[in-house]
Amino acid sequence: MNEDPYDVLGVKRDASQDDIRKAYRKLARKLHPDLNPGDKAAEEKFKAVSAANDILGDAEKRARFDRGEIDAAGNERPPQPPPGWYRDHAEAGGPYASDAGYADMMDEDELLGALFGRGARRRGGAGGAQFRMQGGDIHARLAIDFLDAVNGATKRVTLPDGSTVDVTIPPGTREGQVLRLRGKGSPGIGGGPAGDLMVEVSVGEHRHYKRRDDDILLDLPVSLTEAVLGGKIEVPTPAGPVMVTVPKGSNSGTVLRLKGRGVKKRDGSRGDAFVTLRLVLPDKPDADLEAFAERWTAGKAQNPREGMEG
Amino acid sequence: MAEMNDRLRRLRLQATMLEAWVSAGWIAPETPEYSETDLARACLIRDLREAMGVNDEGVEVALDLLDQIHGLRRALRRVGDVMHGLPEPARQEVLVILRELDEA
Repeated sequence: MNEDPYDVLGVKRDASQDDIRKAYRKLARKLHPDLNPGDKAAEEKFKAVSAANDILGDAEKRARFDRGEIDAAGNERPPQPPPGWYRDHAEAGGPYASDAGYADMMDEDELLGALFGRGARRRGGAGGAQFRMQGGDIHARLAIDFLDAVNGATKRVTLPDGSTVDVTIPPGTREGQVLRLRGKGSPGIGGGPAGDLMVEVSVGEHRHYKRRDDDILLDLPVSLTEAVLGGKIEVPTPAGPVMVTVPKGSNSGTVLRLKGRGVKKRDGSRGDAFVTLRLVLPDKPDADLEAFAERWTAGKAQNPREGMEG
Repeated sequence: MAEMNDRLRRLRLQATMLEAWVSAGWIAPETPEYSETDLARACLIRDLREAMGVNDEGVEVALDLLDQIHGLRRALRRVGDVMHGLPEPARQEVLVILRELDEA
């Protein structure tokens, strides 16, 4: 504490009063204990700086020090105020404590809210500890069509209290998926955030389509002529009808893959559609076809069950 | 009253100044008398303005940030106290999670 005050403030012997004032202010801003609530070393340094300034900041005392009439500790006045530093009062959570530094975290997380404590008040508030609690979640069920689940849609849900909420069904929604609508649940208590609305989705069946993850499976009837000779046919898909070339000599059970014609994914792309060809004979017996089959030697010789054993 | 004036003089504070700081919202006494906390806060304001050369707008910002820091320190201390009070297996679990966070 009895260091040379010029060294403590970091100024030269011939520094002007203005230089000394500037040096002191700079150090005070850096070392003031209330600006360094957790740093004991800063407090000691601040005391030394204040003591040095008490001498050098006063031109008359400075002259006496320079003449050797008083020593560096001669007029030391401890800067500690009688009530103690403000920092010693502040942390107890008095009237000035502010939760503005973390209030947003408490809103999001019940656990953090409990850990941080809800005692801190916002400055200018009415006073008194506040009790804040997030509102409860509301659960609801929603039945949607197969194609709405595949392509996405907006559906209206009626809640137990009679109110309605529009629910956005994202494309690719699956059976049993739960959609969470933030803040659409029960209102919070004491200014706490509202709960969430949880909608469990059940997806209906489709007459033609089946779903396997992001792919669509479809049985497609083809005529004997189309199967034998091949050709272009129109195929319905969830993404709209598409023209497909059936290769010449396609068998029943042949699977054609239509890329990007399946279920819409999160990234905007789509899964695939798998079309299984199913050979369909004419509705009524056809004389020409029968006559042809009678004399078709290769057809008679073919054994499609070759290698099959009971 | 005379006692308080004496007290203020020893703290190098003036009654008129304190009143101005109350109107500015920097000090908010809960009773007609200034509490120890109010006086300590006033000394901080005095230091900000005199020792550190902070202007009035700066004082406002500094106080607001300090209030937040003290709120955070209090919250942090609470979390620390809870951690210390945890049974040993739970403490170890928290330490493992924190280590994993550091490595991530």
